[in-house]
Amino acid sequence: MSQPVNTVKKPVSIKKTILRVLLYFVVLDVCVITLYPYFAMLCTALKNRVEIFSGGTVLPVVPLWSNFIDIWSRAPMAKYMLNSVLIAGGSTIIAMLCGIPAAYALARMKFKGQTAFLGFVIVSQMFAPVVLLIGIYQVMQRLGLTDNILGLIFINAAFNQAFTIWLLRGTFMGISAEMEQAATIDGCTRVQSMMKVLLPVAAPGIVTTLIFIFINAWNEYTVALCLISTDDYKPLTVGINTFNGYNMIEWQYLFAASIFAIIPVVILFMSIEKNLVSGLASGGVKG
Amino acid sequence: MSTKTPAAPPASQELAKKAPRSSGSKKFFRKVEPYIWIAPSIILMAIFIVTPIVKVFQLSMSKVTRAGLVKGYNNFENFSKVLKSPAFALVLKNTIVWTIAVVVISTVLGFMLALVLNNKFRGRKVARAIVVFPWATTLVIQASAWNFIINKDYGTLNTLLMKIGLISAPVNWTPTPGAYFAWEIACGIFVTIPFVTFCVLSGLQSIDASYYEAATVDGAGYFQKLFSITLPLVKSSLTVATVLNIIYVFNSFPIIWTMTKGDPANHTDTLVTYLYKLAFYNGKQGEASAVSVIGFLILLVCASVYMIYTLRKGDDDL
Repeated sequence: MSQPVNTVKKPVSIKKTILRVLLYFVVLDVCVITLYPYFAMLCTALKNRVEIFSGGTVLPVVPLWSNFIDIWSRAPMAKYMLNSVLIAGGSTIIAMLCGIPAAYALARMKFKGQTAFLGFVIVSQMFAPVVLLIGIYQVMQRLGLTDNILGLIFINAAFNQAFTIWLLRGTFMGISAEMEQAATIDGCTRVQSMMKVLLPVAAPGIVTTLIFIFINAWNEYTVALCLISTDDYKPLTVGINTFNGYNMIEWQYLFAASIFAIIPVVILFMSIEKNLVSGLASGGVKG
Repeated sequence: MSTKTPAAPPASQELAKKAPRSSGSKKFFRKVEPYIWIAPSIILMAIFIVTPIVKVFQLSMSKVTRAGLVKGYNNFENFSKVLKSPAFALVLKNTIVWTIAVVVISTVLGFMLALVLNNKFRGRKVARAIVVFPWATTLVIQASAWNFIINKDYGTLNTLLMKIGLISAPVNWTPTPGAYFAWEIACGIFVTIPFVTFCVLSGLQSIDASYYEAATVDGAGYFQKLFSITLPLVKSSLTVATVLNIIYVFNSFPIIWTMTKGDPANHTDTLVTYLYKLAFYNGKQGEASAVSVIGFLILLVCASVYMIYTLRKGDDDL
């Protein structure tokens, strides 16, 4: 299993052993450094106020698991959580409903303006929501969607279109069109052949895209910060700042709440990590 | 023929029959069909991306009252106001330092990390899963954690270093605004590395092992192989990752906003935090829009390079 693929079997040299040790040393260091902020967060979330502000301890003297329960009553955490789920879920659905047909058309049809559309999709990545906030705010005012979850859903869906189309187009282009053509000859409509033949084959790529959008929308902060003023509509990323007050920061609660915000995303992300790499390769690199 | 799916564009059944004699309406439909497929996406982006873009350009050239009312064209006054303000030069310098430092350092480190992770070793899967953590975590939380870690009074970095015995008294990690900005850059690098690493890894995995075998037979050393096989073959993944990173990092808001809000006195502001304050704290929407437009123009150069590159590649494949 750990046998290197492209080396011929020969006695293990000292040089090789040293390289191996070095490799593990580097990997271990990287992992420790990467996990350190999370470790610090977890430890802090288990301390009481006094212990945090007096410093001096790394691990909590007595783990205070109650912090994880207190946050639900100290702030409307359940509401924030629900809002995050609604925003991320809604954005994903809309982004997919708009993105799948567009990616399909780009992968399977030839039409005038195809390159222009693709070019626009790429250029749209250049405009981060934060630079357009003033414009976004005005559009939302017009539509009556400021301070509204629906507004955030549309914004997230729109700004994830580029990525959705790009990843899905790559996925679709990697799948031979022969099966669909056969289905069409058998009397399927284009939509049927897409739904019944292409989409099941493309499922891994679709799931990857789906999860990726969900994570992006779940983690979105800037637009929510700007558009949402009512506590009832805040997602977790904005809501947890309740514990980050002007006069004092309740670090233990801030981090306990943060851990609730991180866990689902990290699990989702780890589940697609492998596909995302190949997705990036097929969609983003090979064009 | 079975029933039509609700989402079917009208008359697509007609098309599927593949009748040899295509009447005028069928021909017309075949021409229009692709546009029906891309319509939802276009409408979504038109309302929520294109309209804001137009609005921002319009506002940048107009006199805007504090209440957000547009009072007509004002001869680029917003731009001249922005460019004349002493803070802007500082903010622009910060933005350039921020973007270049984060992108360059994270690209180099991310590339090296990808080379390490591309080796086969026990626990590789776990290591790769761990490396993905900072990518998956929302930036606000990551930045809060860093803010806590480097706090001079009770931060865990001091505690940890004192426990190990590397330092004897707490160190003030952020004595100057510049030092704080450096920490923000470090945080930016930390969260950007995974993206680079995974883009490069995807490139590395597509390299045929036989290249390396042949090179080994020819007696090539590690660095020779790195520069003549690995680098040229991952160049395209690396280019895409770098250009996307330039755009993301340039536009990155949450890290700086969470750690310093650009304070003190614009010393840690970048264009995006600066324009946020102008628009939503100071009510200067016209000037803020001008800052946005300046930002676009800078990024446009990068994006056009990227677009030419990717579209050309796309055409080659077609």
